Amino acid sequence: MTREQQKWYDKPVSKLILITIALSWMFPYVGFLISSFRPGESVKRTSWWSSIGNGQLFSELTLENYYEILFAENLSRSFFNSFAVSIPSTIIPITIAAFAAYAFAFIDFRGKEVAFIFVVGMMIIPLQMSLIPLLKLMKGGAILFGVTIIPELSLNGTFVAVWFAHTGFGLPLATFLLRDFMMSLPKSVVESAKIDGASHLTTFFKLVLPLSVAGIAAFATFQFLWVYNDFLVANVFMGIKPENLVVTSHVAQLTVGNYGEEWHLRTSGAVISMIVPLIVFFTLQRFFVRGLIGGSVKG
Amino acid sequence: MRKTLIGLLAVVALIAAACGGASLEGEEVLIFGAPATDGPDGKAIQAAMDEFSEETGIIVTYVGSENFEQEIQVQMESGDTPDIALWPQPGAVVDAAKRGMLTPLADLGIDIDEYKSNYSAYLVGLGEVDGVVYGGANAVNLKSIVWYQPAEFEKRGYAIPNTWDEMIALADQIVAEGMNPFCFGMYSNGATGWLATDWMEDIMLRTGGGTDTYDKWVNHEIPFNDPVVKNAATLLSQIMHTDNYVVGGTDAIVSTFFGDAQNPMFERDGNGNPGCFMHRQASFIVGFWPEAAQGGAGTETTVFPFPSIDASLPKAALGAGDMFGVFNDRDATAEVVKYMLSPDSFTAIATNKGGHGSTRISAHTGFDTSLYDKAITQVLAGVLNDALSANAFRFDASDLMPPEVGAGSFWKEMTNLAVEGPGYIDTALSNVENSWP
Amino acid sequence: MNKNNSTLADRLLIGGIRLLALGAFPLIWFLFQAILFRELTEVLSRTALIIVAILVGSTFIFLLYLGMNKLIDFAPKNHRESLYAGMFIGPALFMLSLFLFYPSIRTIYLSFRDRYGDSSVGFENYIWAFTDTEMKTTLRNQVLWLLFVVTMVVFLGLVIGWLADRLNRGEAFFKSIIFMPMAISAVGSSAIFKLIYAYRPPPSTQIGIINGLRVGSGKDIYGKQCGNNVIGSNGELIDYYREGCPNPVGWLQQRDLSNLPSFENINSSDTIMNLIVNFPINTFLLMIVMVWMSTGFAMVVFSAAIKAIPTEIIEAGQIDGAGEGKIFLSIVLPYIKSTIIVVSTYITVSVLKAFDIVYVTTRGDLETNLLAVKMLDEFSKYRQYGRSATVAVLIFVCVIPIIVINAVRAREETQT
Repeated sequence: MTREQQKWYDKPVSKLILITIALSWMFPYVGFLISSFRPGESVKRTSWWSSIGNGQLFSELTLENYYEILFAENLSRSFFNSFAVSIPSTIIPITIAAFAAYAFAFIDFRGKEVAFIFVVGMMIIPLQMSLIPLLKLMKGGAILFGVTIIPELSLNGTFVAVWFAHTGFGLPLATFLLRDFMMSLPKSVVESAKIDGASHLTTFFKLVLPLSVAGIAAFATFQFLWVYNDFLVANVFMGIKPENLVVTSHVAQLTVGNYGEEWHLRTSGAVISMIVPLIVFFTLQRFFVRGLIGGSVKG
Repeated sequence: MRKTLIGLLAVVALIAAACGGASLEGEEVLIFGAPATDGPDGKAIQAAMDEFSEETGIIVTYVGSENFEQEIQVQMESGDTPDIALWPQPGAVVDAAKRGMLTPLADLGIDIDEYKSNYSAYLVGLGEVDGVVYGGANAVNLKSIVWYQPAEFEKRGYAIPNTWDEMIALADQIVAEGMNPFCFGMYSNGATGWLATDWMEDIMLRTGGGTDTYDKWVNHEIPFNDPVVKNAATLLSQIMHTDNYVVGGTDAIVSTFFGDAQNPMFERDGNGNPGCFMHRQASFIVGFWPEAAQGGAGTETTVFPFPSIDASLPKAALGAGDMFGVFNDRDATAEVVKYMLSPDSFTAIATNKGGHGSTRISAHTGFDTSLYDKAITQVLAGVLNDALSANAFRFDASDLMPPEVGAGSFWKEMTNLAVEGPGYIDTALSNVENSWP
Repeated sequence: MNKNNSTLADRLLIGGIRLLALGAFPLIWFLFQAILFRELTEVLSRTALIIVAILVGSTFIFLLYLGMNKLIDFAPKNHRESLYAGMFIGPALFMLSLFLFYPSIRTIYLSFRDRYGDSSVGFENYIWAFTDTEMKTTLRNQVLWLLFVVTMVVFLGLVIGWLADRLNRGEAFFKSIIFMPMAISAVGSSAIFKLIYAYRPPPSTQIGIINGLRVGSGKDIYGKQCGNNVIGSNGELIDYYREGCPNPVGWLQQRDLSNLPSFENINSSDTIMNLIVNFPINTFLLMIVMVWMSTGFAMVVFSAAIKAIPTEIIEAGQIDGAGEGKIFLSIVLPYIKSTIIVVSTYITVSVLKAFDIVYVTTRGDLETNLLAVKMLDEFSKYRQYGRSATVAVLIFVCVIPIIVINAVRAREETQT
């Protein structure tokens, strides 16, 4: 490469292209963010760009919407519900998957191939396929050939139903990814531990887990954001009782619900819902991107 | 490990023991319905229930959702049902009852004869399956009304139209004067089209054989592309598709959210003219008005009856309402149901306790209409009661038809009709006819 | 005790332990956690419940493994290896069977049943799926979404990824901007775009920027400037509801272009214009939301793949005098072909399952429906459980080949 030659992408025109793209990607947020700081009546009376134009915006900026949405509308409760849903829904599948991945990577046993094909096969099942029967399973249990396998549970509307639903949906991918990750670990480490007489459980906790932190973190970030941002599963399994709402279903209710076109609440509610993912995104960007790339085959 | 397990079991046992209790004090009852929790109707229901809670100690919570119809369906499958659901469609109550989801009111200790004597036979009949009463009539609203502003009419010397022809003449006059007579908006997330079906129903009640034909139409005893229905669609199309009849033009009908549709009536252009003069919409729409306008309901903005079309037919009123179904036979639930069926449950709603601003009207024939705080509600309740006792009240047809039609093809084809214009009438009606299950 | 007996006893013991570890123990654990939390929901206050849910809900799973480990200690040493395999893998297989496998089989079964699943209807639901007009629209939309979203995301992702990679300063910042929508929920993104597309009936102020700029841009028939109800310099209200001013458009309610002024008076015999006028603008606008959300992902993945190309290869191309475009087409593209396939797979699968965007913006009205929404509609709106299951199966059938192709490719790559 010759240094003297000015490359086209250093020319102002390509800079301009990139800036245009960046601005057009930023643009949708602008009006939304501004509207979330304006009083409800003004949002309906003056468009946000005219309010900048005539300077009205700067005199009317308010945090009132945020107070209202968080406390009067109780989005704060939905916010905590989201955590009570997302954290276990991340940890449970990862734990189960990590154990399974360990077995696939380091233990020889009969039927390993079949078991692995089963796990991978489950990856192609879109969640729509299992949604409704799973909903019924969480309610009335399962009866197979006249034998009650799962008794009547009436779980729907409790956190535990969503945890298990997300466990089911996240498990195949987690197992697959973690197995890949563990396979790439040096086999000798595990073997030497075995020679030292360490049990599988010890090897798993003391050796393999610490070495797999990067892989686990990547999937965890992905799964956490997936669950936190999920609307369908939460909506179906948690229902719409106000004390059960998670952030996404709350914001969805505000967005679909048209009572008086309350844009000031819609915007502030959605902005609050975006804070957590953005924090996760900016702090764990490295893991998140890895998780996404790995998660690109989630069925 | 075993110790942990036993310990956990003990905890569960303790918890189970703590749950048991005999007094109804502190019991919770959840009511789920369509009016949004924070909307006027939702607040009104909660206000009435709060009064009940103060007396009995049973804590009643009302939750409303715009997607009630779909969500209650999911809830019935998931088992996570509320104690009481307030359905806007009696057909859905019957359907749920047939599937064994609901408790008959008699099982809750309700005196059915007394209930029947307090409510109109027509409404009671809508909630019956094989003679067993499952649905409890609760609120009714009136749809056969047209909102207008008397001051604007007077200023221009317009008279209230009593017949369809008079309404068309008035509309033509308004157009000739360079303004738009009608507000008309029917967009509604997932339910676009219901406003047009309401118009159709109002016209059906006033043409052909009146209520008799209407009932046949609802029960599919006459085909959907019967000449009577076609005539109704043609009249509706006259409103939707005549140039300048609708503010914003025909294009605006489908685009405008039904809750925004009336806003042009409250706006004034440079010459002081309102965006529109007439808005045919049910009584509950007041809750969607701009806050400043809501206070003038019944005075500044009030209603005239939907004009008659065939003068030989008796007056009929189209309406809708809420009918509740009960999902369990808990004692606390039974108490709430008893309260809901008594006129007391509407006092807080009628008197605007806490300033909810709702225009909900009790279906109880013995309810004292003078209690209604708003003048407009008193008038509407009077009309409704007269219609109910004269058996001239009919429930919104799309809420009685099978869901494939009432919440499906009927809405959809009316939306298509609005977009496509009068040439589409035949196609629309035969499409609905073909979709009847 | 003689040796034979002890083997039999051992076998029974091992069999018992295996059964416990693989089937009964995960089941008991599942039921225990389920019932425990169901009861806790009843008795605990909300705050306590949330704390317990996070702390206990997340750690309860370890009880399962510790419990099984204790069980295995009862088994003779030489059998433990296979028992450990069972212990490590059993819960995963159990959960998958219960939460994915069994429900999916049931959905397939239901797709051949009637409304409430009471009796068999053969292939009736599948015939319905391809003949019903609403279903046909839904399928058409699904195809449009697949074609447009996948193409746009891959194209934009490649272009932006390529450009961003060559930035010398601010690359991370630039990438973050494009990537950010990926982190926020589809519900939030839909809300954002709903405001952009917002429509209010005239003469109300337009608060959506597209309609706002549109109505404010024209002049009425007297040549007077139209305005979005803004106050002019002389304190006079400038509105737009006058003859000649552009009307606002309900963008999400336009299933074709026929209501836009430039297409209003087209000749019906003009085939090309007829094709253009049937362009489903509302569906297109919803697809933009998805493109906005997903491009960041494609860009990051492509950019990583481009970075992995050895510089010598590109330099060799430059020495040969190839231009940027040529290098991109003949060196970069072939090099990252498999990455493109992976990204396309991901976008394809997520488009097939796209639910939130349509659900919170139009609910499928005015011909914007997609399969995932239709599936829930059939279930909850029309109470047609059989048809709902059929739609789910259709989504599944569409996903299979994509994943299989991808898996085969991945396998080939690891082998070569």
